[in-house]
Amino acid sequence: MSKQIIFHPGALDEKDGKLVQMGNKCRDCGKTSYPAVELCPFCSSENKEKVPLSTVGTVFSYSVTRVPVGAFKPPIIGAYIDLPEGTRLFGQIHAKVEDVKTGMKVKVETGVIWTEKDGTEVLGYYYVPLKPEDGGAKR
Amino acid sequence: MRDVYVLGVGQTIFGKHGSLTVNDLGAAAALAAVRDAEISPKAFQTAYCGTIFSPPTPVQSILFRLGVDRIPMVTVENACASGSSAVHLLYNDIALGACDVGIALGVESLSAYNRKVGKGLLAIEGDLQGKLALSMPSFFAKLCNRLMEKRGATIEDICYPSVKNHKAGMNNPYSQYKTEVTVAEIMASPMIADPITVLQCCPQSDGAAAVILCSEGYYKKHNKKGNRPPVKVAASVISVSGAEDASFDPLEMEVMIKGARAACEKAGVDAAKDIDVVELHDAFSGEELAAYEMLGLCKRGEGVAFARSRAVELGGRCPVNPSGGLLSMGHPLGASGVRVVNEIARQLWGEASANQVKGAKVGMAQMLGGVLTGLESPVVAGIQILKK
Repeated sequence: MSKQIIFHPGALDEKDGKLVQMGNKCRDCGKTSYPAVELCPFCSSENKEKVPLSTVGTVFSYSVTRVPVGAFKPPIIGAYIDLPEGTRLFGQIHAKVEDVKTGMKVKVETGVIWTEKDGTEVLGYYYVPLKPEDGGAKR
Repeated sequence: MRDVYVLGVGQTIFGKHGSLTVNDLGAAAALAAVRDAEISPKAFQTAYCGTIFSPPTPVQSILFRLGVDRIPMVTVENACASGSSAVHLLYNDIALGACDVGIALGVESLSAYNRKVGKGLLAIEGDLQGKLALSMPSFFAKLCNRLMEKRGATIEDICYPSVKNHKAGMNNPYSQYKTEVTVAEIMASPMIADPITVLQCCPQSDGAAAVILCSEGYYKKHNKKGNRPPVKVAASVISVSGAEDASFDPLEMEVMIKGARAACEKAGVDAAKDIDVVELHDAFSGEELAAYEMLGLCKRGEGVAFARSRAVELGGRCPVNPSGGLLSMGHPLGASGVRVVNEIARQLWGEASANQVKGAKVGMAQMLGGVLTGLESPVVAGIQILKK
């Protein structure tokens, strides 16, 4: 098996064999920040706990990049995703461009996002459109 | 706080200067400013230089070539507001009485940078979002999409600043481009990030700019340009963002709104009434369209209507980027923050020739830097207001 690394230190933690986005939830101001850093970036509190982020979010805004960026080939759909806890993340959406809309629900997935020239697989997160079969509350 | 005056300005032509080093460019701009001020470089008591990608200590390397030595010299980095920050620090030193006269430089050679790291979209090293392909055009494409969704902007509105600024740049001897563009040509140019095409983006440039500031006492003793009305820096603000949650809206950037408000309060002016000319960071055409309301030139939500009224063109209520802006002038990153201050000084002196805003008394110079949002790449705005 080829060597695997995570694309950014602290972006993903391994939990029960799965890769999970972990943020810091502040017990003082209540905000959840990502990635986790030394103190709460909103109120400087030390009184925080590491929590897994919600896996489903809403597209606040997105854009489609038509030129290569690093190892990524166009079209690259880059989006700001708002989580129910009020945290905003940036990530790519893996979908057909015409299927992406502002305000749509997406869920996070993890996997290899690019492969280095020496064969090292780089693991990261991305979003995919949420489908009815993914469940959730009935309308 | 003491009053701070503009004594002289200088700059290189912005564009591709692949054979010149950062020090060559900086020395040319510094020398032009010294000749404009008609003082000896030996008079400088302190010096700052804004730059992002230059080799270490450019301010010393540049000023040694003019015989300036043994004074405090500091190079400052603050993304696209690096030049604004150099001006800000010099302004503070003089306003607070730490010195009487000094020079603020801004310099960049993206030709040299590209030779070192390769061409392509600028990314911030080590940034989590940058690694996932968030680039400047990608961020500003989201801002354009928000302008269309929330402010009713059309593609024509998004392209308008680029059309306007390219036209203005035709008359600027320091401009990188001397070409007019139409909306059709802009939209036919290669797509970078929908709806941003190449002709909605500022170019990568090389260049330098320099401004000499001084105290009132120094100005009265040493100003030799009797024909120039005295121009003061009436306010200087560096405005920095913080951690952002889901309430952040690129159409309502706190750094811009609060920074402009703070600068206007310090200068004692009302942005919507008193500011006669603005030079701002139009790295992308849609960025300028979004800036009108954030800087307070018009009411919240009315930026598109303000642009459609042609208020921001020469002859309008408040011409924006009559120099041609970054879109036509070019954008040597660290230099632009100084260049916009020089541009406003020229306007208030009445020395902007074909692009002169008639009767301009108050002007604003603005830069926005960072923007790859998130904890690792914050946003910073530099705002200076000049008055005569």
